[in-house]
Amino acid sequence: MRIRLLLVAVLLVVLASTAASTGGSAPVRVRFVSLAWQKQAVEAVKAVVADWNRANPSIQVDYAQVDWGSIHDYLQTSFQTGDVPDIFHYESIPILDFAKRGFLTDLTPMISKELRADVLPAAWQTVLTQDKKIYAIPYLWESLIIIYNKKAFAEAGIKPPTVANPWTWDEMQKAAKALTKDRDGDGRTDQFGAALGLRSPVNRVLNLSMGFGGTYFYQQGGRTVVYVGDAERQLLTILMNMLYVDKTASLDGIGRSSPELIPGFLAGRYAMLPGIGVWARQQLVETAPAGFEWGVLSPLKAKTQYQGSATQTLSIPAAAKNKEAAMRFIEFALNRDNMAKQALGDWLFPTRASSITLPGFRTPQNGWDVSTESVKSLRMATWQRVLGYNEWRTRLATPLMNELFANRITVEQFARRLESESPEILDRYR
Amino acid sequence: MTLSRSTRRRAGTALLFIPLSAYVAFLAFPLLWLLSTSFKLPNEIMVSRPAIVPKQPTLENYREVLGPEGVVRPSLNTFKVSVAAALLALAIALPAAYALARKQSPLNKAIIGWILVSQSFPSILIIVPLFLILARVALSNSHVGLIFVYVVWSLPFVLWILHGFVKGLPVELEEAAAMDGASFPQILFRILMPLLLPGLATTLLYALVNAWNEFFFALVVLKDPDLVTIQVSLARFRGIEGLARWGPLAAGSVVATLPALIAFTFLQRRLVSGLLSGGVKN
Amino acid sequence: MKTTTSGSIQVAAAQARSRQLMSSLMLYLPLLIPVLVLSVIPLVQGIWLGFTDYKLGTTPPRFNFLDNYARMLADRDFWMSFRTGFVWTFTVTAGEIALGMGLAMILNARLPMRGLWRILILIPWAMPPVIKGLIWRFVYHPDAGLLNYGLMSLGLLRDPINWLSDFSWALPAVIVVGIWTGLPLATIVLLSGLQTIPEELAEAGSLDGASGWQQFRNVTLPLLTPIIIALSSLEFIWNFNSFGLVYVLTEGGPAGLTRLPMLFAYLEGFAFGNLGYAAALGNVMVLVIGGFVLYGVRRQAAATI
Repeated sequence: MRIRLLLVAVLLVVLASTAASTGGSAPVRVRFVSLAWQKQAVEAVKAVVADWNRANPSIQVDYAQVDWGSIHDYLQTSFQTGDVPDIFHYESIPILDFAKRGFLTDLTPMISKELRADVLPAAWQTVLTQDKKIYAIPYLWESLIIIYNKKAFAEAGIKPPTVANPWTWDEMQKAAKALTKDRDGDGRTDQFGAALGLRSPVNRVLNLSMGFGGTYFYQQGGRTVVYVGDAERQLLTILMNMLYVDKTASLDGIGRSSPELIPGFLAGRYAMLPGIGVWARQQLVETAPAGFEWGVLSPLKAKTQYQGSATQTLSIPAAAKNKEAAMRFIEFALNRDNMAKQALGDWLFPTRASSITLPGFRTPQNGWDVSTESVKSLRMATWQRVLGYNEWRTRLATPLMNELFANRITVEQFARRLESESPEILDRYR
Repeated sequence: MTLSRSTRRRAGTALLFIPLSAYVAFLAFPLLWLLSTSFKLPNEIMVSRPAIVPKQPTLENYREVLGPEGVVRPSLNTFKVSVAAALLALAIALPAAYALARKQSPLNKAIIGWILVSQSFPSILIIVPLFLILARVALSNSHVGLIFVYVVWSLPFVLWILHGFVKGLPVELEEAAAMDGASFPQILFRILMPLLLPGLATTLLYALVNAWNEFFFALVVLKDPDLVTIQVSLARFRGIEGLARWGPLAAGSVVATLPALIAFTFLQRRLVSGLLSGGVKN
Repeated sequence: MKTTTSGSIQVAAAQARSRQLMSSLMLYLPLLIPVLVLSVIPLVQGIWLGFTDYKLGTTPPRFNFLDNYARMLADRDFWMSFRTGFVWTFTVTAGEIALGMGLAMILNARLPMRGLWRILILIPWAMPPVIKGLIWRFVYHPDAGLLNYGLMSLGLLRDPINWLSDFSWALPAVIVVGIWTGLPLATIVLLSGLQTIPEELAEAGSLDGASGWQQFRNVTLPLLTPIIIALSSLEFIWNFNSFGLVYVLTEGGPAGLTRLPMLFAYLEGFAFGNLGYAAALGNVMVLVIGGFVLYGVRRQAAATI
């Protein structure tokens, strides 16, 4: 008898509890995949998510971190299985490809007027598809700057240029010569003027070629063709000169990324790191020994100071379940203050005009003021829209640039081979 | 003048230490690096000539990886998954390895064919169909699903190596036992198991480490942050352009590597005692 | 009941065969179900994709028979990568087995602190894969790297070598990493093989006055043969199949010199989105590897037995 009563009681409790859980509206859950990895950046994103979750009990955001090395495979797999996050963080180049394959939600009608108007046009350009649609909100971007060793400059009697009057590539090469030193006279260079990270060199070279007016890809009778003319060759020639003629750039940079050269920079082996991403300043702040003084120089001037740039973005997959809720969170995460918070955490620039004027981006501390000025030189990198760019870069351009920078072929040979071998890949994508 | 046998043996043993230390230096040097880095702050890591002993040792990295959002829970998850997967794989593989080594049947060819294809076809291309199968039986986003996948992934090696071990044993042992009227399970467990102990321990360790170190499938399958495995958790510290948050990554790696090493110590003890008490001396 | 004797023998033989089949089926049974569901079905789907034009995207795959293979014949980069692939596979596999054999023999001897050594040599294997490539990039760093520092302070090297970007050093450098990461597994498999050799046999050999080498050649090696064959064939397959670690180290560079064949399947599928073509590359690799391994196993088995 007692047992039966107990059973009934248990049953009632169970029923009541399930009723309660179905009766009270369960919050909508939004899964958000973020790529932020540096400590401050992760903290910034987590803070934004926590703020939102506190203010919006009906829409709860679940934060998850995926690393940059796995995100591409992770997303491709998710798109195929349909088990997608509601929001993901990635960058503009692959986004255009994903959009074309139908994996993403068209955000054009969902973006608020305020956001649309405030984000800088050059940033929107990086995500705009051929049919003028937007599948991703650009919110962080980077420029390539020069980081220099103040003591080495003073020792060589070099006055760093100002933002208003930046160095040309020529002037940088001259400075590099003055900074290259064999201190102990053993015939080996102890301090190189510069070290350029040439691991995966293609994007960087193409981005910087823009200042010379070199775009590599041209339209010809409905086909995309590659042309390596004077404008494209100038930068290559300068780099080859610094590496093998003047020997003012260390060969250590071949096969290394610029941030991987920071230990050598801090040890005084290289006086400048040209073409390094702005975010690398964070590494310097974290690792520079006490008393080591470094500064930031504006992008070098060729014909212009322009450089190609991609943005980091937030998108909603086509298969996402809670698109409305996801977009509401995106608008919140990318409002003026939150976007600024995340950009500062990542040591990058926000894309909002209203965020980038905030004092955090204008302080001379850690070179923010000079770095932020370089936003003006950022331009949509046109090669982002070239169909088959990824395969062209991986299979053709990267190996050829490896050969060039190892001094196994000349700029002339590089140009001829790149031009003649490109159609085989690019024509397949027509 | 002749040296006694034991002296000669001792001299031989001493000589062995020369190649042994070369091997150990080559294989184990990263442990030193990991330990050293795990007690350093970034300003001692990203330097041209890193010192082995940190100048200002810190516990900050361990505090982070052992904290609430660190690698402890993922380690426990992974431990659960890998132990279950390894034991299950062995249980399934042992009878099959015996069949493969001792019984002639057309199935053997099919099994060998499967081993070959499953190991040489790019695994990244079967992840999507595999995920869809798990989702259909409601095992995606669960440890059980992951366990089954790891079992199947380590089976080819476990089965193939165990079969090699069974083949290396003299058939006469089984025949003699069968003559004495021993049943098949008796032969398998009483006679063969003790002889196979080294092989079983090795393949068990393989299955363990395999599951312990798997990254991508765990990343794709487990969406619930509470279920995440150790490798997925460690990958958070990896950055871009060859950079990483070295301190926490090293500390996390130490924490993640130790269980595998401890498991081996344990297995090895078991193994030695098994050998001493077991049938090797028949 | 009258049957001819030969008939009854045939019947008996057939019965014996079916008994044999039944008993091996019983032994295989626990393995068959998970393997069929979680391995064979996805594999069949993957192999089938190799006969379609499937591209990442929302359009379903379309059967295109041998089109992928026709395109492959003209894919020079892919075939060129086979040269690298074979150099890599043979040297890494041979290195693992040879060095592993040596190490296993040392560890099988009665050494003080044997347990400690056996654990230390497992480090590369037990270490999280995420960190392996990063550590070796440190080792090979031209300026801050351990290797150049060591060689230069020993006076063996005058100028630093940029190991991973040097056209002649890149492949040897990644091969060393390949051996490093595979050596522990090979060693413990061979070690466990040595442990199953009854001590009496080894003792008998040495009492007969056989030299160390003769004993190894005539007693140890024949007994280990099945395990060596099993191990080396699997290692061969794995090595031919691997690319992840090398990719982290060199991204296939410089100039494609360390581009392993499997990297192509990966890039085609996940970077360029051509899943059908990637699966076709996978199918061809299965055939190539399968042919090699079967041939190798047959020859090894024939030579030693």
